[in-house]
Amino acid sequence: MTAHEQLEHIALLAEVDDLTDRLTRWIDDCPEWLTAHRARALMKRLLERVHTLRFRMETPLVVATFGGTGTGKSSLVNALVGREVTAVGRERPTTSTPILLVHPEIEPEALELDLTAFNVKRIDAPVLRDIVVIDCPDPDTSETSETGSNLGILREIIPHCDVLLYTSTQQKYKNARVIDELVDVASGCRLVFVQTHADLDSDIRDDWKKFLSPRYEVPEMFFVDSVKSLQEQQSDHRPAGDFGRLLELLSSQLGAARRVEIRRANLIDLLQEALAHCRADYDANLPKVQALIETLEQQRIRLKETLTVQLCDELLVNRTLWERRLLSSVTDMWGFSPFSAVLRLYNGLGAFIASFTFFRARTSAQMALIGAVQGARWVKSRAKENEAESTLERLSTFGIADQELQESRLVISGHIHTAGIDYVQSDDRRDLSELRQRAATLEGEFLGDAGRAVDEVIEELATASGGWLTRICYESLFLAYLLFLLGRIGHNFFWSSFLGPIVSGSGTHEPLLEVDFYIPALIFLVIWSGFLVILFTWGLRRGLTSRIQKFAQSMAESRLLHGLFPKLEETCRHVVRDDQQLTTLLDQTTSLRRYIADSSVGCLGGRRKEPTES
Amino acid sequence: MTSGSELTRFQDLAAATQRLYGAVQTLQVKAEFLQPATLDGQEWFELLRQKLVPQLGEDPWLVAAVVGGTNIGKSVTFNHLAGSRASATSPLASGTKHPVCLVPSGFSERHDLQAVFPDFALHEWTAAGAALEASVDHNLYWQTSPDLPSTLLVLDTPDIDSDARVNWVRADAVRRSADVLIAVLTQQKYNDAAVKEFFRKAGAEDKAVLVVFNQCLLPEDEQYWPVWLNTFCAETGITPDAVYLAPADRRAADALELPFYERPWPVPSDWGSDSLGKDSPARNLNQDLSRLKFREIRIRTLRGSLKQVLDAGDGVPHHLKQLELASEELASASKRLSSEAVLKIRDWPSPPNALFVEEIRIWWKARQQGWAKKINSFYDSVGTGITWPFKMARNAIQGEPVPPINRYREAEWSAILTTVEELFDKLQWMAESGNRMIKPQVEAVLQASTRTQLIQKLKRQHATVDFDEELKNMIAVEMASFSEDSPQLFEFYRQLHNVSAAVRPMTSVVLFSLGMGPAGEAVAPLVAGAAANAVVHVVADVAGGTTAAVAGEAALSTVAGQGSGMLQAWFHRLHTVFTQRRVDWLTNLIRNELLGNLPEQMQAAANLPTSPEYGDVVAAVDQLSVLLQQVTNSPEAPDAAKGDLARPDAKADTTLGNVTAEHAVEVTPNRSNATQESNEI
Repeated sequence: MTAHEQLEHIALLAEVDDLTDRLTRWIDDCPEWLTAHRARALMKRLLERVHTLRFRMETPLVVATFGGTGTGKSSLVNALVGREVTAVGRERPTTSTPILLVHPEIEPEALELDLTAFNVKRIDAPVLRDIVVIDCPDPDTSETSETGSNLGILREIIPHCDVLLYTSTQQKYKNARVIDELVDVASGCRLVFVQTHADLDSDIRDDWKKFLSPRYEVPEMFFVDSVKSLQEQQSDHRPAGDFGRLLELLSSQLGAARRVEIRRANLIDLLQEALAHCRADYDANLPKVQALIETLEQQRIRLKETLTVQLCDELLVNRTLWERRLLSSVTDMWGFSPFSAVLRLYNGLGAFIASFTFFRARTSAQMALIGAVQGARWVKSRAKENEAESTLERLSTFGIADQELQESRLVISGHIHTAGIDYVQSDDRRDLSELRQRAATLEGEFLGDAGRAVDEVIEELATASGGWLTRICYESLFLAYLLFLLGRIGHNFFWSSFLGPIVSGSGTHEPLLEVDFYIPALIFLVIWSGFLVILFTWGLRRGLTSRIQKFAQSMAESRLLHGLFPKLEETCRHVVRDDQQLTTLLDQTTSLRRYIADSSVGCLGGRRKEPTES
Repeated sequence: MTSGSELTRFQDLAAATQRLYGAVQTLQVKAEFLQPATLDGQEWFELLRQKLVPQLGEDPWLVAAVVGGTNIGKSVTFNHLAGSRASATSPLASGTKHPVCLVPSGFSERHDLQAVFPDFALHEWTAAGAALEASVDHNLYWQTSPDLPSTLLVLDTPDIDSDARVNWVRADAVRRSADVLIAVLTQQKYNDAAVKEFFRKAGAEDKAVLVVFNQCLLPEDEQYWPVWLNTFCAETGITPDAVYLAPADRRAADALELPFYERPWPVPSDWGSDSLGKDSPARNLNQDLSRLKFREIRIRTLRGSLKQVLDAGDGVPHHLKQLELASEELASASKRLSSEAVLKIRDWPSPPNALFVEEIRIWWKARQQGWAKKINSFYDSVGTGITWPFKMARNAIQGEPVPPINRYREAEWSAILTTVEELFDKLQWMAESGNRMIKPQVEAVLQASTRTQLIQKLKRQHATVDFDEELKNMIAVEMASFSEDSPQLFEFYRQLHNVSAAVRPMTSVVLFSLGMGPAGEAVAPLVAGAAANAVVHVVADVAGGTTAAVAGEAALSTVAGQGSGMLQAWFHRLHTVFTQRRVDWLTNLIRNELLGNLPEQMQAAANLPTSPEYGDVVAAVDQLSVLLQQVTNSPEAPDAAKGDLARPDAKADTTLGNVTAEHAVEVTPNRSNATQESNEI
């Protein structure tokens, strides 16, 4: 082996290692899904076989005969080695104990075969220099595959073989039992197609090829007369024709240099087939999981809608709360000014009264509006609280009704069952408390979002209705009265009762304003500020309804982060991820297989890459 | 015994077979739940359909078929029989895809060919290659051949071992109809598994078999064929009636000149290669066929087929046994299930007492007469008048109160959901632990989509329930029965506000019951009579409200139980009845929407062996067995019919009547004339 070849060889091994590593990782990362478990079980078994194959990568290729009884398997073997080493006969079946032909220089122990099951013969024939040959029993005389029957023996040998010499005759090339067996053995083996009995039969290779090609790559078929070829060799003639080419193929294509390539091709073949099998299984079962995912999504949307509708309703009912929030927001924005002082006073008064009612947030909307203070008219709010209690009984502690939780659980558990997902439901059996808690968490999240959104809405509304123009208006209107009052009082204090008389010298000091002035002035101040406050809050409330509806809309469009069944959702995501990984693995294996088959296998046949339907 | 009585016996057999044929099919439909193996494809049933029903009671014509593996010269042999290139031959495998039949002239006028080959679409055969065309239909091409004896049909069949498995089906159908099989074997195929399986069945049906070893290397194979045939006979249980060898001579085959040499079987002890006549003449298979003892062979094959049909191991009795086993299995499974399939509904809500009281008041009011009514209505008006402002005030402060019935509706919906959930749990458990018959049925019920649908349907239905009406009807019925013989009615009315239902009723629903096991026993006494046939039962659980219920019943039935205790029990009864009505409503709905008649099906299937359909089949089998016994014991039955090749000097025996005498002579085992001749020499 040259250094370059060695390097190439190591690279090939590394490639296989990489693939098996990835497979192992995939196997370890198994979602709780029945189909996935099944696929893992299959791949695990296969990987075991891959490991044994790795150990004997370098041993000579094992070439075995395969074909119906009487199709000349033993005759062909005799002809190949050029002497009679295995019995041929006219009685069926002839060969029951497989015969292993090994060159004296090759140690049969290295092949990892159970040598006791074989009749081992050490033959010094040129064709055996690089390969070992097994003459196998037939697959078509046994009606069952029990141990000890020909079929049973054959099935134990085939996994150890690398290349099969598939012999057939005019009578047997469409034999169903052989064809069925071929389907099983062809994965993981290269195939060489040989029609025997050239002395007696017509050439049916074209029909045979047509028959096989939907499922197998058939690069070449040999039409041989084993008896004649044996005689030729025994009389030291070089066999010509198809048999000569068959010998040539065995020595050139199956040489030491090609061993690893062929084995690797077989291995990839096997992996690819297994993966394709898993893929088909996934394809058949994935729609059920997708139905589950779909349902979970629907549930989530429904949940969201329920929450939104309810929140929207309650927000519309709690107008006073909005008013408080808006007022405090506007006053915060305005800082200190006469009119904002009035607004603060009004708002603070409400808060003061509300503190007597031991206000507790009762509904979702109130929770969203928390931070706001309860307004006046505590009697009404008290009454509302009572009403809320009765409706809340139905709405559970939070917004989602028990019945809805129960319905969801019922539907979801059906889907889990159908999809074959292994999801322990025992937590939410019977007792709704866990589900309720999750629903509460959900609602908490939802209200958190809603609260932020409400803040934004309030900010926006406050900015819209608390603009500087409005402010100047209200401030000046309020100030106008104050100024008038101040003017009036100031005029009376400074001018009429003091400076005026001095300047004019009239000396008649008007008296200072009395209480009967201040009382009406104060009353009018209260009325005026009250009027302005009412006017202002009316302005604030304007557009509130449409704003709240718009807000609800935006809430409905946003997504809930989790549903009621977070664990289940995680499993579903895992399944989807797993499915993608499988596709990737299959794609990689398929492309590797295509590359390998094209580059290295030459005129050896095998299973088709993608079976074509005919 | 005269042939006349034999004729009636065969007609009896024909009638009995017809009866069995019909009964078996009826039973199959009935046993659907048990998922029995389909009749089509079961050897005994196919024999009934393809062989016995069409052929019993008919004249003794014979069906001879050339059978064997693919590409070993069946069509060549057939052409030899036909004397012309009747069937197309090809060097490529599985050429013949549909049977080809030679019919004696006049046969198709005398018989309905379609009835003879019930599985095939018959076509008159014009184009030579027609039988080579692949098609999904089972076709049979026939042609009249004037050379054939008037009661012999000869067929070429598709192969029995190629990967075109539909060919096997067709070959099997022909094999069953056939009386004589011309088995074409080769050195390569005589021990193939597929070949052995095919001929083993033929052997069991007691067909006459002529073995043709084709493509022999003569004379080398002279020493091998006895070995081959020995293996073949040992594997299949066939005793050939004649053996022929044909050489591997492609040119002769193409020219329709393939010679068939007869060989003796069993091989005489003094047989050697030299015992062969130097110029042993080739035989004409057609003539040899014509010399067969038609009637004996016909009787023999019919009897062989009947025996197969009645065989304890593979025939109808086996099928019945399977059904019985399946039924037993189902019965024990459902017994186990029905002990589990009890839903205990614990927290069904009780309707608020106020509702009952209100309803009873209304009922009472409608029944008051004369001054009592006036006084009552007066007090009612006064009461209403006085309480009116308080009511209004309360409404103003607390808002309109939620009607109690709505609250009940919601609580009931919760209870329904819980019940449905438990039901699905139960069903799931059943699907997991049930056997192969129950599992798919329950699985179907469990499909996710039906859950969503069921909930939606239930919800819709539940929303439309008029509880007021329900309550009113119930009160009307119950109060009427109460008032009939109870002097305490007024007392009851007076204490109406004090009574209450102390114990909540608990209800059980039995989903699947066979009237066995603990659940069944609990149910049986309660649902005796009209409801006994329904398998979904609702039972007011005695265990739940035992004391109250028992005391109640006792108190109601005796006058001794006076005072409030009795009234309490009565009120409890109202609750129970109402709850039961509601659960009944739910169970009916679930039954209609979800379970369907699954419980009844299960019950019927579990009791299959006692059904009349089953009995019918058993009776038909018994009758047939007796008749078969009679035929077998009859002196004219050709017990020695094995090997019926007639002597060359024997007349072609194709008539029904005068066999008896001839048969008495015909006891020597068959020997080919070649042997006889050589012995004589």
